[in-house]
Amino acid sequence: MGLKKLRTTMLAGGMSVLATGAVAQTLELATDLSPAGLDPHIATAFATHQVTTGLLYEGLTGVDQDLSIVPVLAESWSVSPDGLTYTFKLREGVTFHDGSAMDAEDVVASIERVQSQDIASPLASRVSAVESATAVDPRTVELKLKEPSAPLLSSLTSIAIVPSEAKADKEALQKAPVGTGPFRFQEWQPNGYLLLAGNEDYWQEGVPKVDALKFNFVPESATRQVGLVNGQYQMLPHLDAATALQLQGQPGVKLEETLDLAYILVGMNASKPPFDDPKVREAVNYAINRDDIVQAALFGAGVPAGPLSPALKQWALDVSEYPCYEHDPAKARALLEEAGVQMPVKVTMNVLPRQDIRDVAQVVQAQLNDAGFAVELNNQEQGQFVQDWRNSNFDMFASLNAGSVDPDEYFYRAFRTDGSTNVFKYSNPELDALLDKGRSTQDQAARKEIYDQVQRTLACSGPAAHIAYSRLATATRDEVQGYDILATRSLGTLADTSVGR
Amino acid sequence: MLGRLVLARILDLALVLFGVSVIVFLMIRMIPGDAVAIMLGANAEVTPEAMAELRGRLGLDRPLVEQYLVWAGSALQGDLGSSVWTGRPVADEILLHLWPTLELTVLSLAIGAGLAVPVGCLMAQLRGRGADVAMRVGAIAGLTIPSFWLGIVMILLLAKLAPGFASLGYVPFSTDPIGNLQRMVLPTIALALPILANLSRLVRTAMLDALGQDYIRTARAKGAPERLVVYRHALRNALIPFVTSVGILTGYLLGGAIVVEQVFAIPGLGRLILGAIAERNYPLVQATILVVTLGFVLVNFMVDLLYGLIDPRVRG
Repeated sequence: MGLKKLRTTMLAGGMSVLATGAVAQTLELATDLSPAGLDPHIATAFATHQVTTGLLYEGLTGVDQDLSIVPVLAESWSVSPDGLTYTFKLREGVTFHDGSAMDAEDVVASIERVQSQDIASPLASRVSAVESATAVDPRTVELKLKEPSAPLLSSLTSIAIVPSEAKADKEALQKAPVGTGPFRFQEWQPNGYLLLAGNEDYWQEGVPKVDALKFNFVPESATRQVGLVNGQYQMLPHLDAATALQLQGQPGVKLEETLDLAYILVGMNASKPPFDDPKVREAVNYAINRDDIVQAALFGAGVPAGPLSPALKQWALDVSEYPCYEHDPAKARALLEEAGVQMPVKVTMNVLPRQDIRDVAQVVQAQLNDAGFAVELNNQEQGQFVQDWRNSNFDMFASLNAGSVDPDEYFYRAFRTDGSTNVFKYSNPELDALLDKGRSTQDQAARKEIYDQVQRTLACSGPAAHIAYSRLATATRDEVQGYDILATRSLGTLADTSVGR
Repeated sequence: MLGRLVLARILDLALVLFGVSVIVFLMIRMIPGDAVAIMLGANAEVTPEAMAELRGRLGLDRPLVEQYLVWAGSALQGDLGSSVWTGRPVADEILLHLWPTLELTVLSLAIGAGLAVPVGCLMAQLRGRGADVAMRVGAIAGLTIPSFWLGIVMILLLAKLAPGFASLGYVPFSTDPIGNLQRMVLPTIALALPILANLSRLVRTAMLDALGQDYIRTARAKGAPERLVVYRHALRNALIPFVTSVGILTGYLLGGAIVVEQVFAIPGLGRLILGAIAERNYPLVQATILVVTLGFVLVNFMVDLLYGLIDPRVRG
């Protein structure tokens, strides 16, 4: 009976191969990040982003492997010459997981939902330029902007389209998400696992290739590693350098790598001494030896960082363009003397509680202390760190920040005077003018020139010393095929992933 | 007599619950870091309005005493509130996480405590001989080896010996009984071993104490077989400290064997509390700890009743 049943199962499996071109299978993933909720407009923490973006939900636009903007739910779009009106043509035949058709009303409702005071979405600033959204016909959406916003298409990648019924509901999607993505929500055991089933009605033919994704929430790193090696898990997404190193060369395990978009930085408080003086900030850059940090703290798995990740090929300048990236403690001391601060310069550095950041902070401390500083490290609990960060209650901090695909998204909020995450309290009118111009310029070549200048301004005397981009790795079993790691840490390519023999 | 005992215990229970509720309520609010800032997460662009909105929704802008009274009032009416993020009732969350913990508690106690009695008796009987010394050394080892280390070593060993054996995570017994038990093997051993070590030493000492008593000498003198002397006459007396310890251990296990749950990826109460504290999910933390306390107190209440069964003098 057992054998007969097995044979029937195999036969059924074989049939489904013929039918869909894929073997009936569940891809088992293990991650330590258990999401707090699944509403893409409300829960924006990375734990949620990882299991929702590109899997459960999609936006009008998306990001491909090269970090270029590509059409997703919008098939095409046009921009008026003044840059104030965007018209999107929606893809035909897209349905939500509840079976209803996705149309212009849903898109309008989704954008308005993110903007609504009541929903209080942390993504609201991404669509703050949008004055009104109108459904011209079921397949056409028109966005009117208050001012030209070149990064709009990039911002829209993070605005998931949800059914219009969810517009005023703050709870339903948190528990049972409904999107248009290649996977639909099936079951969620908080702290246990999240099970997503393949969406048979997905608008793109032939995907997803696996029948289900199971995210196992496993807090202990050693347990995840053993689970991968013994085959209980087939994928550990987005590992830090140390873990990737431990898994390298294990039998049956392979690594997919890319450079991270997220960056390790040392932030400085530009609103009070000593870092209110650009010379002191420049001294920090001369004192830091980024190559050594990458070697010592990241096990060589990373590259020295400029303000933009080299993963953003069309934007990033090479770090060799920044004179202050030449390690020169003597020059650092000279700058401190010029600035007239008393040496050693006593400062405290708050440290994000993550092992890699703690390691980086220690190396930075040693390097700065060699060049006229006296840095004290303050290893904080996550909550305290976040609070101090938000309230600009620090001299310096060492942290890891998520990156953005469009330079405006990062620079404008972090470095423009009164930017929404300008915790450095940095204010530079020249830079403000550049950022405003970058935002309203449509021409790519002209924008590139503007952001080249922005990068040069920020690299040496900006309030953040960009330290390194880590190598980001996903470990999979050998039989996992077709997965591409994305620098944005989206797992969207799981739709094209299959589990073969 | 029993009636008065029950009444006194219920009064104790009410007092303990009140005390714990106040302490938990204050403690979680004393953890450094603005709760609302943490709930909204780092890195996100959060406006002061969004923070104020959440603060208002959770009632965190009101005075502490008022917050406590509102919470305690609805808790008394059976409403424990709902999780800050999912909006899911806290009671549901707790129930969901209770089963794995309960299963683990029952299994590891049954095995650990069940084995401790015969092992402890054996150690007492073999007192001073090589086997007793060896078992005592083993017990010390069992007490001192941290269970997370033991857990990881066992996972590694099993991965080498039986690569296909699914030992991590949790599936409900109702959906997959075999898969459930399979995954329970290692965590149960990791928890049962220190229990066995602890309790067998206790049984040994209590037995040695009991075996030295006059009534045992009398029993032996009247020609009762050694088995009967040990298991009927001595054991009954030796059981009192044993039962007390089992009660306390049960309480701890119900609180979620946090470390073992972490290592084996079991979604039990310990992980629920840990996660809730990390995200400052106030309603969830408060309710979960209250429920665990209730369990702890109830178990000890049952232990008190058991005393009466074992030792007639308690019945008065």
